[in-house]
Amino acid sequence: MTRAPSPIPVYWVLAALTITSAPHLIAMPAWLATLFLLMVAWRALAANRAWSAPPALLRLTISVILLVLVVVASGGHFSRRAATTLLCMMMAAKLMEMFSPRDLRLVAALSFFMMTAQFLFNERLVYLVYLALGAWTATMALISIQQQQTVTLLSPKLAKTEQLARQGRQAAMMIVLALPVAALLFVLFPRLASPLWGLPQQSMDGRTGLSDELTAGSIANLFLDDSPALRVEFPDGQPPPVEDRYWRGPVLTELDGSTWRRSSRADQSSPLPEAGVGEEFEHRVQLEPHERRWLFALDHPRSGPEDSRLTTTRELLSRNPVTTLTQYDVRSVSSPFGPSDLPVSARAYYLALPQDRNPRTRAFADELRDRFPDDESGLVAYVLEWFRTEPFRYSLATAPLGRHNADEFLFDLRDGYCEYYASAFAILMRAADIPSRVVLGYMGGDWQEGGEYLLVRQSDAHAWTEVWIDGSGWVRVDPTAAVSPDRIDYGARGAIREPRHVLDNEWLRNLRNRLDRAQHTWNRWILGFDADRQMRMLERLGLPRGSHTTLAIMMVAGLALATLILAVLLWRRDLKRPRSEVERAWRLLLARLRRHGLTKQAAETPLEFAQRAEKELGPKALDFGRLARWYHHAHYGQSHPPLEKRFLAAARKFRPV
Amino acid sequence: MTEAPAQRIVEDHFSALQQARAEVNRVIVDKAEVVDFAFTALLAGGHLLIEDLPGVGKTTLAHAMSISLGGSWQRIQFTNDMLPADIVGVSVFHRDEASFEFRPGPVFANVVLADEINRATPRTQSALLEAMAEGQVTVDGQTHSLPQPFFVIATQNPLDMVGTYPLPDSQLDRFLLRTRIGYPSQAEERRLLTEPDRRTYLADLKPSLNPEAVLALADQAARLHVSEPVLDYIQALIAATRSHAAIRVGLSPRAGLALIRTARAHAFLNRSDFCTPESVKTVFPGLAAHRLQVQPESGLSSEDIIDEILSATAVP
Repeated sequence: MTRAPSPIPVYWVLAALTITSAPHLIAMPAWLATLFLLMVAWRALAANRAWSAPPALLRLTISVILLVLVVVASGGHFSRRAATTLLCMMMAAKLMEMFSPRDLRLVAALSFFMMTAQFLFNERLVYLVYLALGAWTATMALISIQQQQTVTLLSPKLAKTEQLARQGRQAAMMIVLALPVAALLFVLFPRLASPLWGLPQQSMDGRTGLSDELTAGSIANLFLDDSPALRVEFPDGQPPPVEDRYWRGPVLTELDGSTWRRSSRADQSSPLPEAGVGEEFEHRVQLEPHERRWLFALDHPRSGPEDSRLTTTRELLSRNPVTTLTQYDVRSVSSPFGPSDLPVSARAYYLALPQDRNPRTRAFADELRDRFPDDESGLVAYVLEWFRTEPFRYSLATAPLGRHNADEFLFDLRDGYCEYYASAFAILMRAADIPSRVVLGYMGGDWQEGGEYLLVRQSDAHAWTEVWIDGSGWVRVDPTAAVSPDRIDYGARGAIREPRHVLDNEWLRNLRNRLDRAQHTWNRWILGFDADRQMRMLERLGLPRGSHTTLAIMMVAGLALATLILAVLLWRRDLKRPRSEVERAWRLLLARLRRHGLTKQAAETPLEFAQRAEKELGPKALDFGRLARWYHHAHYGQSHPPLEKRFLAAARKFRPV
Repeated sequence: MTEAPAQRIVEDHFSALQQARAEVNRVIVDKAEVVDFAFTALLAGGHLLIEDLPGVGKTTLAHAMSISLGGSWQRIQFTNDMLPADIVGVSVFHRDEASFEFRPGPVFANVVLADEINRATPRTQSALLEAMAEGQVTVDGQTHSLPQPFFVIATQNPLDMVGTYPLPDSQLDRFLLRTRIGYPSQAEERRLLTEPDRRTYLADLKPSLNPEAVLALADQAARLHVSEPVLDYIQALIAATRSHAAIRVGLSPRAGLALIRTARAHAFLNRSDFCTPESVKTVFPGLAAHRLQVQPESGLSSEDIIDEILSATAVP
């Protein structure tokens, strides 16, 4: 009996593979993704037409070609993305030999793997939904294969839709049953304090975060990006006042033409400067991956997490690039005390300007210096006032600037956003002999009432300046605030009255905030459950900290328990509720016999079972034979209370052996 | 107080039934299940089809049954040149009285042995099958009732033998039960070979029952108590035939009714005053095997599938 196998399991496996590969497909070059889909389509057609596998040589050739294509597509650069692309294409190649139940099962199982590979790139909450869908489809594929293989003669012959519904429920049930085990593994599986292997970089999928350069106009695209950049919690539950919410990132000290850059020496560590004064803010930051090393912190960070350090410009740098959602505690002070004097060499460094640029700005700076000799604070205040009174505007619609960028902006254009102001202001200050630097970071953040955290979005990206005032040290000056206080009070969105894009309305923003609160909870409890928290949990349970053995023992015990509970549940589900007192007593009888190694088969009638029991147990079972006959009459015969009573009494007393 | 005498009469009938059963078992040694099937079919008011090779004792069984039941009996040897009239009878014109007279055919008997039914043409087969279904025959517009009880034991050679007209599937369920006799055991075969011909026993056979008693017993059997668990079991078995992957057409509701009727008769025959799951189990193969249409490509026989269903269906 050679029947052509039904193509249905193949369809399910292909569906599972496609769904679980979808995020990878979206990220890989379109032509490769198309190739992948073509392979899937070919395999579906082959299943439909009952074609057999292509010859081995052809399979090998195509596989090699696919391999070469992946290498070409990745430019020979082995990144995480290239690795998953390779995985996808090799799965596509596997489809060519997926012609036996074993291979089908393999591909279905690998679909689960494809799905988890996505977590290398993205650990966002929404992926949970996708994960559920992928897991369900892959499970359906496995069930479908199983169904196909055990052409069970007894398997009910159902209408297609009914069968589908039944399998669907079964798949969902399997996933639900697996959840406790997954939860257990999640909590107890030993976590490593650092990643097992160095992940290749670049996981941002081309999304832009803050860069470490500033050319007027480079942040603009971020204003449209409402995705979260960081979330901040405060132990005392109170966020700092709105005007102090400056999340400090890279500090740009070198002006190269019209581009501000970080110092090449900035990464060098510096001894921690003196403690600052003013209010101290302790906060915990959840930082979305951004592929760079800086950790954003409230201006100014005083101490950061263990594997980070402060640079001379008071950037908080992580040891490794932030490629996954990272959580850390920071302590900041509102106004730091730097060294009382800036060394001459440093002073020159912070005053350096390209020579042949911005003549008008220089002239204006000379003028200012003459008006405020030895009064840097007065000069700064005057310039800010000048920004306020002159017709400067805050706007996202700006013109590109040319060679004399500060000149053009300060005297002609006067229309721009934070980058323009920060860059021009810093140049003006340097020209006026006041050391200055540009700071990139985020400004503001929405306080999330329900979640008690501050949500800072990419669109909160900001640039401001710091100037050196003798006796005060580096002082934060935000020229944008002078021009557009709204930018500070309401964020970039508030400063620009008209909606930035069609999706920019109140209702959607609320929805997004709500979703972000869910995401935050997820980050905090699931992604944030690291080695440290795991150990703290152990400690709270009164177990030795740092003991992987304890974890392992707990894990094994927990798994055994979960399996046991599951087995009992399944076993109990198998038994229908007893119909009567008599039937209940009978089942207890059977349970007692089972403990003595004698189990009634479901298809055995009580009398048949009694006969077998007598044969197997010998004279010991004589009593049972009598009980079985009574039960036979009480259960199948007409109601006869005295007999039932007699049976119940005897059944209670019955002990095998 | 008519119940007590009535009860006693039934009890008398019942012991007569057991005696008849014992008598037949004396003739057909070692085939108690087949004999039970025959009596079960009789009590359930149905007919029995015995399917086996020639020479295993089909005719002897039918003959013994008919004698011990005490009613009239007829034997019809089916051949391929037989006409329906050879079975149901003909109307003969009497010149003297200038009228037609109905000459009943061999089907007019309490027990009819239809030997090798599949040798006859389908037309002739259906004449018998219709008589079995309706309990009456119609000849020239005249309807004639068959005697009660009316019990047909048909024998049939396995279908792959040459020169046969297999009964159509739709006609098979006119038979309540179908069974096989099978070869005798070693010891029994030896006795067959050494002892006098079994058929000589038939001559000594005394009728134990009479038609009225059979009807009364059948009536009694039909009223046997069937409990909820047994009904559940019957329904589970029927449902299993309908959902089985290798079965094209499962058991019909009529087959379900027949199963209850047969199980009752079987339980009654075995001295139970309620329908037992054991009886259901015992009669189920005989009742279901010829009613099921198996997917030919499954490579299974309906007997295999029924065994599988029985061993997989839980007894409530």
